[in-house]
Amino acid sequence: MSNITPTTEKSMLTITDLHASVEEKNILKGLNLDVKPGEVHAIMGPNGAGKSTTGYVLSGRDGYTVEKGSAVLDGVEILEMEAEERARAGLFLAFQYPVEIPGVSNLEFLKASVDAQREARGEVAYTSAEFLKLAKEACKQVDLPLAFLKRGVNEGFSGGEKKRNELMQMILLKPKLCILDETDSGLDIDAMQVVANGVNSQRSPDRSFIIVTHYQRLLDYIKPDFVHVLSDGKIVKSGDASLAKELEAEGYAWIHNEPKDELEGDLL
Amino acid sequence: MSVWLENAIARANSTSDWLSPIRSVSLAALKDTPWPTRKTEAWRYTSLKSLERATLSPSPSVNQDTPEQIDGFESFNLVFRNGEFDLDSLTQPLPAGLMISYLPTASEEMKQASLDEFSQIKPGRHLFGLINDVLAQHVVRIEVAEGVSISQAIRITSLIGLNSESHTRVFVKLNKGASLTVSEHYQGNVESLNTGFVEYDICAEAKLEHYRFALQTDKAISLGGCHFKLGERADLNSTLVGFGSDLSRVDTDIIYDGEFATAKLNAFYLLDGKELFDLHATVEHAVPNCTTLENVRGIVADRAKAVFNGRIHIHRHAQKTLAELNNRNLLLSDKAEINTKPELEIYADDVRCAHGATVAEIDKHALYYLESRGISRSKAQVMLNFGFINELIDQMPNQVLAEWIRPQIRNRFAEMEVTR
Amino acid sequence: MTEQIDKALEREYEAGFVSDIESETFEPGLNEDIIRRISAMKNEPEWMLEWRLKAFRVWLEMEEPDWAHIKYSKIDFQSISYYSAPKSMKDKPKSLDEVDPELIRTYEKLGIPLIEQQMLAGIAVDAVFDSVSVVTTFREKLEEAGVIFCPISEAVHRFPDLVKKYLGTVVPTKDNYFAALNCAVFTDGSFVYIPKGTRCPMELSTYFRINEQNTGQFERTLIVADEGSHVSYLEGCTAPQRDENQLHAAVVELVAMDNAEIKYSTVQNWYPGDENGKGGIYNFVTKRGICHESAKISWTQVETGSAVTWKYPSCILKGDNSVGEFYSVALTRSAQQADTGTKMIHIGKNTKSTIISKGISAGRSNNSYRGLVRMNPGAQGARNFTQCDSLLIGDQCGAHTFPYVESRNPSAIVEHEATTSKVSDEQMFLCRQRGIEPEKAVSMIVNGFCKEVFKELPMEFAVEAGKLLEISLEGSVG
Ligand SMILES: Nc1ncnc2c1ncn2[C@@H]1O[C@H](COP(=O)(O)OP(=O)(O)OP(=O)(O)O)[C@@H](O)[C@H]1O
Ligand SMILES: [Mg+2]
Repeated sequence: MSNITPTTEKSMLTITDLHASVEEKNILKGLNLDVKPGEVHAIMGPNGAGKSTTGYVLSGRDGYTVEKGSAVLDGVEILEMEAEERARAGLFLAFQYPVEIPGVSNLEFLKASVDAQREARGEVAYTSAEFLKLAKEACKQVDLPLAFLKRGVNEGFSGGEKKRNELMQMILLKPKLCILDETDSGLDIDAMQVVANGVNSQRSPDRSFIIVTHYQRLLDYIKPDFVHVLSDGKIVKSGDASLAKELEAEGYAWIHNEPKDELEGDLL
Repeated sequence: MSVWLENAIARANSTSDWLSPIRSVSLAALKDTPWPTRKTEAWRYTSLKSLERATLSPSPSVNQDTPEQIDGFESFNLVFRNGEFDLDSLTQPLPAGLMISYLPTASEEMKQASLDEFSQIKPGRHLFGLINDVLAQHVVRIEVAEGVSISQAIRITSLIGLNSESHTRVFVKLNKGASLTVSEHYQGNVESLNTGFVEYDICAEAKLEHYRFALQTDKAISLGGCHFKLGERADLNSTLVGFGSDLSRVDTDIIYDGEFATAKLNAFYLLDGKELFDLHATVEHAVPNCTTLENVRGIVADRAKAVFNGRIHIHRHAQKTLAELNNRNLLLSDKAEINTKPELEIYADDVRCAHGATVAEIDKHALYYLESRGISRSKAQVMLNFGFINELIDQMPNQVLAEWIRPQIRNRFAEMEVTR
Repeated sequence: MTEQIDKALEREYEAGFVSDIESETFEPGLNEDIIRRISAMKNEPEWMLEWRLKAFRVWLEMEEPDWAHIKYSKIDFQSISYYSAPKSMKDKPKSLDEVDPELIRTYEKLGIPLIEQQMLAGIAVDAVFDSVSVVTTFREKLEEAGVIFCPISEAVHRFPDLVKKYLGTVVPTKDNYFAALNCAVFTDGSFVYIPKGTRCPMELSTYFRINEQNTGQFERTLIVADEGSHVSYLEGCTAPQRDENQLHAAVVELVAMDNAEIKYSTVQNWYPGDENGKGGIYNFVTKRGICHESAKISWTQVETGSAVTWKYPSCILKGDNSVGEFYSVALTRSAQQADTGTKMIHIGKNTKSTIISKGISAGRSNNSYRGLVRMNPGAQGARNFTQCDSLLIGDQCGAHTFPYVESRNPSAIVEHEATTSKVSDEQMFLCRQRGIEPEKAVSMIVNGFCKEVFKELPMEFAVEAGKLLEISLEGSVG
């Protein structure tokens, strides 16, 4: 269950009363979440609820303002840190809409990220040969042809290829906390299996996952420990895997706290 | 300097009327504006020789032409004959909110107010813009009141007769939220000079649908233009159709004065014989958040020459501008010539800007496709070339005008020879 | 974000040092007497002097061009010294051992070892220091293959027929103001001749260094690739950091005979001036090549230096089936101004040209692409493709495109595309989310933007160019 009061047991991520806004619009309105090492949490919820925003706020995207609250990753408060510092602290976000970077090869990009993170941890950089080997393995693991390592980052990739590319990065970066934002959207059945296998292979007692999805199908492949419903910037319901099935059947209509019509004021 | 220019300046100097204050400013500016040569960037490809040679008379014989009939086109008609406004041309009563004034006979108050508007939209006009400033006397002013939508179009026809000089000036003001359609027609294919300039002040949220049919051919010399100023959320949809002549030049200037305004400019020209057509289209994005879409297409046959200069200037603070310019040209003969220069001048970083220009043969795949359906090669070529222009005719918001111009374009096109 | 990128763009100019070398320098001034003295210093034959004097008279009649999108204080041609050479070069050292070690050290510091054993294998270097060529390496090896690679001042003596035959044929004396000036006062530069059917066994390169104060550099390069031959040539340029502007007005002429191929690459890193636009090189350069039948000339340039760049490496595609290419990266920052591009003149049938230009503007700089594509009436079946992309970094700079397209042949095809973009917030965030420093992210993204051009550079220099860009972008994000 979403633990409002942290237990004494060590947490991977603790979000407490998080309020955040973008362009002066409040999106997160008191979010609480506690994720223990090794756990998989699924977050579901209607469009526009603030799921992606949660990922952006945690990972420090410009333009998102934290009004209130805290987020502690593996014992460290991260909300004051720069985006790249949070990444180096072990936070990984797989984007809902991965951006293209023309001309920058995937391989070059991957090596730059892995180098940066290893350097931050005081580890020596991989040689090109070592890295190439790792990258090839990761590429195979997500079922992308090796040619994708040479292509520009997401440049001209299909929707599904972009998602697999995100997963490949996750596999190479070995983060502590992975936030996957609709990594299953737009995937065919086989690709979904690939994504699930990718995630499952990375599950370990010291790595946690937050999986944002609209479909319970993915959760058949990746068994979540908890399922939460995010609506209007808050978690409104938490449960175990069966909650996802319930939602699939009934939708979100039961969430009655419909947001007030903001235009109403303008009309009066 | 040409003899004609000296005469023109002398004539302007000896004219004294309510426009004199403006005239003296432009006369001063003329002194610093040299006669364009090949070295003058804005006239690089367009020679003024035919103007220097032309026989022009300030007092030609009376022009008895009538505006060409456009079936089904309901409009308020304004007619200029050899540059003089025909007071009898406007016969219908005007609806509330539409004011049309012939300034020389307007009230002193109106004249004074107009002096402040006159020539304000585009600073730094070229030589012929200044010439128009100093020689235009029969100025007409059109105004649509705030929030008023005029459903019937205004048609301005300029009839230009043999050896005449026609220097017309119209000022159009659309007040906030107003909407209007204006169609400009220039008619007369005889040796003559026409500098027809129209200024459009489109205030916030106003909407202008605009056409300019620059269809003078043969010996008619035409050096005019349209200047548009757009206020906040104003909208302009403009179509320019050009045929060439010995010397034909249009300057279209769009100047954004308020945010979130949009302009769409479609222009196409078909040139045959030894015609020249020169379009200079300039867009000044002086404020943020405005959108320009420009589509310019030309077909050039025989020994004709097309000149296009498309300039998009994005000023320092004009962030979030979206500007696209597409220029496509077809050459039909190996004596024909195309000179195109799509320029971008950008001083703001958060903008989306693109231009493209092509000079090309007809698409071979499309040609093959048609041939494979049994259509002869020459017929297929005609179909494809015409399709290239027809697309823009289809985009004209006014169906009546589209159906009026379409057969003319088709006929003109059918007469063009494909020699390659 | 923008602020961060701007910071990343502040960089040190690494080549800004001054070498302590005793020079013999002419007093400032430009007149016929000075030209006679330059000619005498080079011990030139009469015809060369006559050629110079004729050019000087032409120049006097010409006017400085003002059509480019650049602003600079008027050049006082009388305040420039037109000749400067290290004293030690006076008695023409026969071998590297006789060259002043300080000169060798200068080039070493710039990353150009002149001692053959230390050099990158496969690259021959002509090192030009102010007005003279210091040394040309690997000459014997090249001569074995019949390739001539020597200072042009020497070619005038040793190969007068070749020089006479080609000098000024591609860029005529009166082509433009700065070319005419160069004809009158040029001091040194490289001469290359590749005999018929020969593939030049090494990369050739010239490294230009301005050292002396108040001097101009007026080099002249002439490359002739005879039928069926092939050569790849690279030039690099640096200058000390000074408060005064210095003029560099070079002329490069390329002749590609039937089926020959010349690849000409430039990494231009003249001193760009300081943050406020003080100092820096005025770079007014005329580069042009002529392609005979089925010949190919490919220009690749990476322009990161100079306060003002005015440069349009061009191709005259005279022979049928000839090919011209222009690949350019121009980076301007601080108060730098660049107006650069190319001209592709299609004369022959089925001639092809490709233009890829990448302009990056940052700081308060202005970066313009100016190009001309002309299809002459006889250019049956000719084709051009042009892609001009601009990247703006910050809202104080300018990026401009002035393409001229002139077509007089109905079967010729010209395609021109131009786009403008910026380093997007999304791209930056993706990189940072993966742990990459913002600074590194910018340089990666900018490098990616330039990829199509870098891949045209010879291997070693592609790396160098990438690094140069990286240094240029250093500190732009933080
Ligand atoms: N830059 C922005 N400016 C204004 N509103 C924004 C901005 N970014 C996000 N929002 C708004 O914040 C709300 C939450 O968006 P978010 O992307 O987090 O939703 P989501 O739960 O991920 O939805 P989906 O299931 O559709 O992906 C939405 O109403 C969205 O329109
Ligand atoms: Mg989302």
